[in-house]
Amino acid sequence: MTWTLLDRCCEKCTHSLENPCPDYIECRLSGPLCHDDERCRELRRRRLEELRYGEKGAKIKVPMASCTLAMGAEAVYRAVEDSVKKIGLEATVAISGCYGLDFIDPWLELAAKGMPTAIYANVKPSDVPRILEEYFVKRDVGGAFALKEKTGAAKGEDKVPLLSELGFWAKQYKWVSRNCGVVNPESLEEYVASGGYRGLSRAFKLGPEATIEEILKSGLRGRGGAGFPTGMKWRITRQQKATPKYVIANADEGDPGAFMNRLLAESDPFRIIEGLTIAGYAVGANQGYVFVRAEKPLMAKRLQKAVEEARRYGLLGKNILGSGFDFDIEVILSAGAFVCGEETAMIAAIEGKRAWPRQRPPYPAEKGLWGKPTAINNVETLAHAATIMAEGAEKFAAVGTEKTKGTKMFCVTGAVKRVGAYEVPIGTSIRTLVEELAGGPPEGVRVKAVQVGGPSGGCIPASLLDLPLDYETLQSAGAIMGSGGIVVIGDENCMVDVAKFFLTFTSAESCGKCIPCRVGLRVMWSILDKITRGEGTEEDLQVLRQLAETVRSASLCALGGTAPNPVLSTLRYFMDEYLAHIREKRCPALVCRALITYRIDEEKCIACGQCALNCPASAISKTEGGKYRIDESVCVKCGVCYAVCPVKAVYKVSGAG
Amino acid sequence: MGKLEGSDEVGVLPDKVFEGVPKAPYGLLEALRRVQAVYGYLPPEGIRRAAEYVGVPFAQAYGVATFYHQYSLEPIGKYRILVCMGTACHLRGNSLNIEFLRTFLGLKAGRKTTEDRMFSVEEARCFGCCGLAPVVVVQKPDGSNEIVGRANPRTLRALIERYRRQERGGAK
Amino acid sequence: MVKVKIDGRVVEVEPGTTVLEAAEKAGVEIPRLCVVPGLYEGSSCRLCLVKTPTGRLFPSCNYRVYRDEEFLASTPDLWEMRRVNFELLLKFHRIECWACERKSSCSLVQLSKELLVDGIPVCSECPLPPSECLLLKGELCLGMIAQSGCNAECLVSGGECWGCRGPITREDVLERAFARYKELGFDVKDVVSKAEIYWNSAPGFATVKKVAERVAGRG
Ligand SMILES: Cc1cc2nc3c(=O)[nH]c(=O)nc-3n(C[C@H](O)[C@H](O)[C@H](O)COP(=O)(O)O)c2cc1C
Ligand code: SF4
Ligand code: SF4
Ligand code: SF4
Ligand code: SF4
Ligand code: SF4
Ligand code: FES
Ligand code: FES
Ligand code: FES
Repeated sequence: MTWTLLDRCCEKCTHSLENPCPDYIECRLSGPLCHDDERCRELRRRRLEELRYGEKGAKIKVPMASCTLAMGAEAVYRAVEDSVKKIGLEATVAISGCYGLDFIDPWLELAAKGMPTAIYANVKPSDVPRILEEYFVKRDVGGAFALKEKTGAAKGEDKVPLLSELGFWAKQYKWVSRNCGVVNPESLEEYVASGGYRGLSRAFKLGPEATIEEILKSGLRGRGGAGFPTGMKWRITRQQKATPKYVIANADEGDPGAFMNRLLAESDPFRIIEGLTIAGYAVGANQGYVFVRAEKPLMAKRLQKAVEEARRYGLLGKNILGSGFDFDIEVILSAGAFVCGEETAMIAAIEGKRAWPRQRPPYPAEKGLWGKPTAINNVETLAHAATIMAEGAEKFAAVGTEKTKGTKMFCVTGAVKRVGAYEVPIGTSIRTLVEELAGGPPEGVRVKAVQVGGPSGGCIPASLLDLPLDYETLQSAGAIMGSGGIVVIGDENCMVDVAKFFLTFTSAESCGKCIPCRVGLRVMWSILDKITRGEGTEEDLQVLRQLAETVRSASLCALGGTAPNPVLSTLRYFMDEYLAHIREKRCPALVCRALITYRIDEEKCIACGQCALNCPASAISKTEGGKYRIDESVCVKCGVCYAVCPVKAVYKVSGAG
Repeated sequence: MGKLEGSDEVGVLPDKVFEGVPKAPYGLLEALRRVQAVYGYLPPEGIRRAAEYVGVPFAQAYGVATFYHQYSLEPIGKYRILVCMGTACHLRGNSLNIEFLRTFLGLKAGRKTTEDRMFSVEEARCFGCCGLAPVVVVQKPDGSNEIVGRANPRTLRALIERYRRQERGGAK
Repeated sequence: MVKVKIDGRVVEVEPGTTVLEAAEKAGVEIPRLCVVPGLYEGSSCRLCLVKTPTGRLFPSCNYRVYRDEEFLASTPDLWEMRRVNFELLLKFHRIECWACERKSSCSLVQLSKELLVDGIPVCSECPLPPSECLLLKGELCLGMIAQSGCNAECLVSGGECWGCRGPITREDVLERAFARYKELGFDVKDVVSKAEIYWNSAPGFATVKKVAERVAGRG
């Protein structure tokens, strides 16, 4: 077996699981510390290089995350293995997490000693032999998407940009996501080689109080939505007399359009595990839980694996790193309920009960899991905490705003060219994210609004794109930070329909415990539905607003408390669209089906018959002229023909037809 | 572990079904998932066994089983088609796709499973692959998932037809 | 002991007392529906919400005081919120007070008076038990479609209801009421013409007529 960085360097090393060395982590990168031996130093240096270029001096990384897998990364992986064999390459094939750049999926990263590390985008299995041949045999990187550095040693280097010069990369501030796409998410060794677990070692040196102090000093606020100062939460939990205490990592990322937590957990799970361990140490808990969203099972798998690895090397378990601190973690996979993300609901779920939120106070920090003090944090918060403990509070606080320090990961989806997860300093403008990082809307589409903060966030109109992304500004604009999902809404969407869509979501996810949310959201939904059918009145708008206010202030938990946001914000910024539906019985964006009619432009129609084939109502038939036509009396306005027509001959007009 | 086909009868739960599941209340979610993996749904007897295993009252476990989206108390189709109703997927056409699937498979209002128990069509929550919106995920009988990105009626129709062909082929 | 100030009245209570209990002691009225101390304290109905001077809302049934604190329980916005919320609660309640034994002992009926919501008929206050309803004797009483709140004056004094306080407008209630008139052999037209005496110009009368016609039209 190969010697790994996590193994003892020689017989002089005193570290063992039974008798762990407090300097174990530091020793991995700059050791040996307890004895002096050039051979041991050399052993480490060589291994670090191996990790970069593989044991054979050449390495091929294939990203294995949900997103890249969905784009066929597995087939690419197999193609890589095949071609390596066929070409007879001496290269290590490894997996990695993902960069969060959906538009380059699936990608490949090739590295070899003396060559610039190169990323290839949108790789099809059939491209693989050619790419490998070019890079490893011809030493030509001309076909790459981006290079990590330039060496001058390979052909075609000048044709390819540096990754760090590309706008969507250069404008990011890679702090908590630094390892995403870089390391092998299943390898503790790579995590440690990249500087992992230095944070925990430092926490042990400082002691719990000073650790909390450090987090307070960094100004870290919770990244799960509400933005509560993390150090404060830990301090309150620590101060409670009751024992035992617990810590929970909230990995129930449920906002549609948000996948930064998934990305982090699938690409750099050890950072989360380390962060939770630090939290446990700081508050005085010996047991942690990670609660993972049902729809994201790979996240749970990676975290579970990370827990097992950490146990294996004594980074979980008894007397971690000789600190005298015992800690262990259980990973729990949910079965699908958005409300589980709410902290008191999550606690009920872990207790084996229905995931019903309960009234706070008492807050979980006082009375949480099994009635005991519990600190519950978002996984990004915990990963930040681990990074802060390693890098120091000052470095974290160097970016951000006066009130909120540091960076946050945002996911930009919807009508943009470069859907992806981007990490930027808090306070970055929405415009920078949407236009410079995500590349703005595709051709022919104009941005109408951005929905910030998931289904309970607000719709901010395009005119306010220059607003900075921070908790307070978003709140005053009628949105929330939430988990940091940004859905860009193009002008082909109807804002009333969008508001109705969000209520469909929240009313279905309402746990049903309290009246305003359970009934109020349903009633609000029916009013919106009525409006989209062209049957709404202006009084309905009054009622809608009044209900929204009641649901917002009277609901038990923040699900009901924030669910009216999309309605209130669209009423505030897009009243004209509501009025068009009500007064003119017209849907300006031609979305609401009761108010539109589908037609076929016979000039454009190429008579392929796709529309007729797919129409569920058999409303389309061939005309004498050989073209196709819709029988409006039969059409149910499902829009299938509009979607399938290859030449966009199907069009929509206002009017119920 | 395949599910019991074509009958409502509850077979015997294999002893090993709960292997590795923590014997604590927080193991309930996993225990129920294991039961569902065996039967394709959660029969009362299975819920009772899961409740006993983790040590919570049956009523409480039943309350949990009815609470989550991913548990089904009625038999579901061999191919479970989950249509993402997340924001990105909605905006890019999944409302249309689900309606197409329902009509194409002849599902009447309120029904999610076809008469022959071959297909179930369900709304699902965001899978976090929004870059591929609209997304449809199919849980196949062998337990694996097929993720379909940029789905449209045409590709979905082809997908269903492919499964049907496979089934016909496999039946011989 | 801690001091709790509610709507300006100060009471001393044991630490850990709920605001609702403190309010009772102070003689401040706070509506509630779901709390059963020791049995259910899940804060579901949200009718008992009170406000801190800084505007934060808490259900008084569940919020326990451990230090001196002040609450507002009767501001107009709180009452308005309770009204809207109570209407939501009633939304899916199958209102059929004429057939219900609870009558005035029903918490929904009691609250509906405080909160002035639409939809609860005079029958809710009728002194006659369901088995002695005037309709069973063939007397045309308008109680089922008339807005409650009068404590069923006329019925108490032996007469039938003429609907002097105006019609209720909740269509599902009207629907069930007219169906019952019809079932008991009354002509829906007679009901409407009796109602016309008081309701000719009442805002909700159109709805009443609409529903009446719909029910009459059914076979
Ligand atoms: C309906 C609802 C869903 C939530 N979902 C999440 C979630 O998916 N992830 C998360 O970290 N916090 C979520 N929260 C917020 C949590 O309740 C809690 O505030 C958070 O986990 C605290 O961690 P932080 O301080 O690190 O942000 C949700 C809250 C509500 C009301
Ligand atoms: S606000 Fe909604 S989700 Fe929260 S407790 Fe009430 S019903 Fe449940
Ligand atoms: S909208 Fe739907 S029903 Fe109407 S013609 Fe097109 S495919 Fe057929
Ligand atoms: S799909 Fe478009 S091009 Fe083809 S027949 Fe229909 S309208 Fe014509
Ligand atoms: S007598 Fe009149 S008020 Fe009393 S229950 Fe009968 S209909 Fe209602
Ligand atoms: S007529 Fe008027 S006072 Fe008499 S019972 Fe009817 S509503 Fe009450
Ligand atoms: S490419 Fe991985 S997050 Fe999308
Ligand atoms: S919205 Fe469908 S995968 Fe996220
Ligand atoms: S009595 Fe229902 S919430 Fe207080």
